[in-house]
Parts: sequence; C-alpha cells; structure tokens
Amino acid sequence: MMPKLCFLGLLIKFFLTSGGETQPTHESLKPQKVRFQSRNFHNILRWQPGIMLAGNSSIYFVQYKMYGQPQWKNKQECWGTPALYCDLTNETSDLREPYYGRVKAVLARTNSDWVMTPRFTPWWETQIDPPAVTVTRVNASLLVVLHAPDLPYRGQNGSNESMENYYDLVYRVFKINKSVGKEQKVYEGAQRVVETEVLTPRSSYCVVAEIYRPILDKRSQRSKEKCVQIP
Amino acid sequence: MAPLQKPGSFPLLGALATGCLLLIGLWTQEGSALPITSHCKLDRSNFQQPYITNRTFMLAQEASLADNNTDVRLIGGKLFEGVKVKEHCYLMKQVLNFTLEEVLLPQSDRFQPYMQEVVSFLTKLSSKLSLCRIEGDDQHIQKNVQELKDTVKKLGESGEIKVIGEMDLLFMSLGNTCI
Repeated sequence: MMPKLCFLGLLIKFFLTSGGETQPTHESLKPQKVRFQSRNFHNILRWQPGIMLAGNSSIYFVQYKMYGQPQWKNKQECWGTPALYCDLTNETSDLREPYYGRVKAVLARTNSDWVMTPRFTPWWETQIDPPAVTVTRVNASLLVVLHAPDLPYRGQNGSNESMENYYDLVYRVFKINKSVGKEQKVYEGAQRVVETEVLTPRSSYCVVAEIYRPILDKRSQRSKEKCVQIP
Repeated sequence: MAPLQKPGSFPLLGALATGCLLLIGLWTQEGSALPITSHCKLDRSNFQQPYITNRTFMLAQEASLADNNTDVRLIGGKLFEGVKVKEHCYLMKQVLNFTLEEVLLPQSDRFQPYMQEVVSFLTKLSSKLSLCRIEGDDQHIQKNVQELKDTVKKLGESGEIKVIGEMDLLFMSLGNTCI
C-alpha cells in the first residue's frame, strides 16, 4: 500500500507544482514504445513521452549504432529535440544489417535512462508502399505503367538505386469492370509496363496494383483505383 | 534407380556430358590444379522459401529481445577476417555445425515453434554441406571459428541466446557465401 500511496502523492505533487521545484523520477521520464517504423526504407525512430509527461514537454536525445559496434553515435539533428520522432534513414542505410536506436528524455535537468529499440533490420521489417500506377487507353487495351517506390537515397555512383535491387519484386495488376462489378487479376510479374485488353465498349474500367515480395511472402497495400472510360 | 542404370538412356548421357564439361571447365579454369573448394555450394532455392525465411527472422527477433549485449556480434566482419572469399562458405559451414550441435540442440525446447522448424531446415543445409572441404590448411579459418566459439562460451547462457538472436545473420551469410 505504501509505495502506491507514495506514487500517488508524487503524482499529485508533480501536477500541482509547475515542474520546477519537484524533480520527476528517472523512471517516470523514460520514453515509451521506442521503435523503428520503416516504410520504403525510410527508417524513423518513434517514441512516446514518459508516463508523467502528459502535459509537460521534455526534450529528447537520440543515439544509434549498428549491432556489434562498441560505440553509440549521437544523432545531431535529434540531440535535444522536442519531437517524438527522429529520422535515421541515412544512418541505417545498409539495409540488410541490424541496427539499434535509443532515446533518453531530459526534463528540468533530470535525465531518464536510455530506452533502446528492439534490433532492427530494414530489409526484413520495412513496409513497401503500393506502386504508382498510370493507366491509359490505347484502342481496345489498357496500358498500365507501374513504378515501385523510390529508395530514399542514391547509390554509391550517384545513380538511383531501385527497390528491385533488394527484392525480386513482383507487380500484381487487377482490372475491375465497373458496370458488372467484377475484379480480375490480369498480371503478375516483374514487368513495369502491362497491356490488358478491354472487350466491353461503353463501360468503365479501373485498375489497381500491388507489390508482392515473394521472398518474404509480403504484399503491399493496394494502389488507388485508376479508372478509364471506354467509349 | 532403374532408368539411371539403363545404358544409353538420355538422362545418363546428359549427366555424363555435363559432368565431363564441368570437369573440363574446372581443369581449364584452375590450370592443372584441383579446385580449391569442393561441394561448398548451396542451391539458391534454399534461400527463397518465404516460410522458413520468415520463421528464421522471427526466431532471431524473439531471441534478440533477450540479448542486451549490443556490442558483441558473432556473425560479422571480424569472422571473415583473413579468409579468402572462396573459403567463406566453408567457414560458414563450420559456424553452422557449431550452432546446430552446441547451441540449437541444447536450447531446442525454447523459442517454439520457430526453433523446431529452423533446426530442421538448418540440419538439411548442414547435410548438404557435409562434403564441403577446402584444399590445404584451414588453420586460419579454424582460428576465426574458435574465436566465435570462445565468445559464446565466455558469455555462457546469454552467449547461446546471442547465437539464436543471430539466426537471421547466419541464414543470410550462408546465402551470401554458399550460393
């Protein structure tokens, strides 16, 4: 009972005083849910404020390293940041390597402990967005052009490295006949340009696509529908 | 078995022909010397099965949560120091066998159900590499492998957890070096 009461007392005291006089404990400052969130290899470290920081804004300090390195490195852009995220895309760009990030909070000269992410391997964990899709009608066919999301950085020689360098990506294209409300898979493969016939005149066709990574059996979400009217 | 023994059957001829071509190829490539490595090769298809790839990564992820020692890494650059690229697969074979015999089997009741599936997959790879040898001295390789073993032993229980937490690295390294 005692510790519970003490904690409650501390909580009340903390909220009554305006943060200055009472030092919050290390434990209550600790950032919560420190995780990498990765989309298309944009690797963002995210966290939530410590349990007692709901109304108070502390600042945060971020470090990172590759698994196996003895030294943590400071992330300058996130060294004393009020934000609840930190972009570590460039620091985690060796996509098949495992990384760690960690965060500590500082409020009124009190430091929390460091809170570390789980081990993070971009290649395995990143979510791939749906492909960009353009659809044009050519006579009685639809010409579908697909484009995988770009990687966030350029290769060593300055050229644009593509997502395909890291996975054997497969595009899946679906055709929806709006008048009958029927959906049909019309293509699965690595080609970026796909032609599909439309046979019914005076109807509306829509196309959606997704990216599939066979090696991980993971699919992206679907792209937005792109529709074409057949005269 | 029967078709293989029938003389003159096409598969046999084909196999003989490829065999000869392969030998000629190897002999001409290496001059009069024998190839340095033999059978140190795994088929790419071993590493293109999403189910076991995912299971391996999940096992590693779960075990790595229990590994707070972020400074020490077993499968990384240091393991390959001083070892020629064409000997890397042989090196990984040694690491694989150590992992199976001295870590995964003793720990096999943990991290289920992933462990069981990954162990049986790796056991298959290990048997596929059973004939993998290098010609000549492998002392420099054994030295690196021994260092890894010593690190694991020194860390004790948490060393074994670390090995399991690096199953994804073992998997990818086998793929990179043996395909």
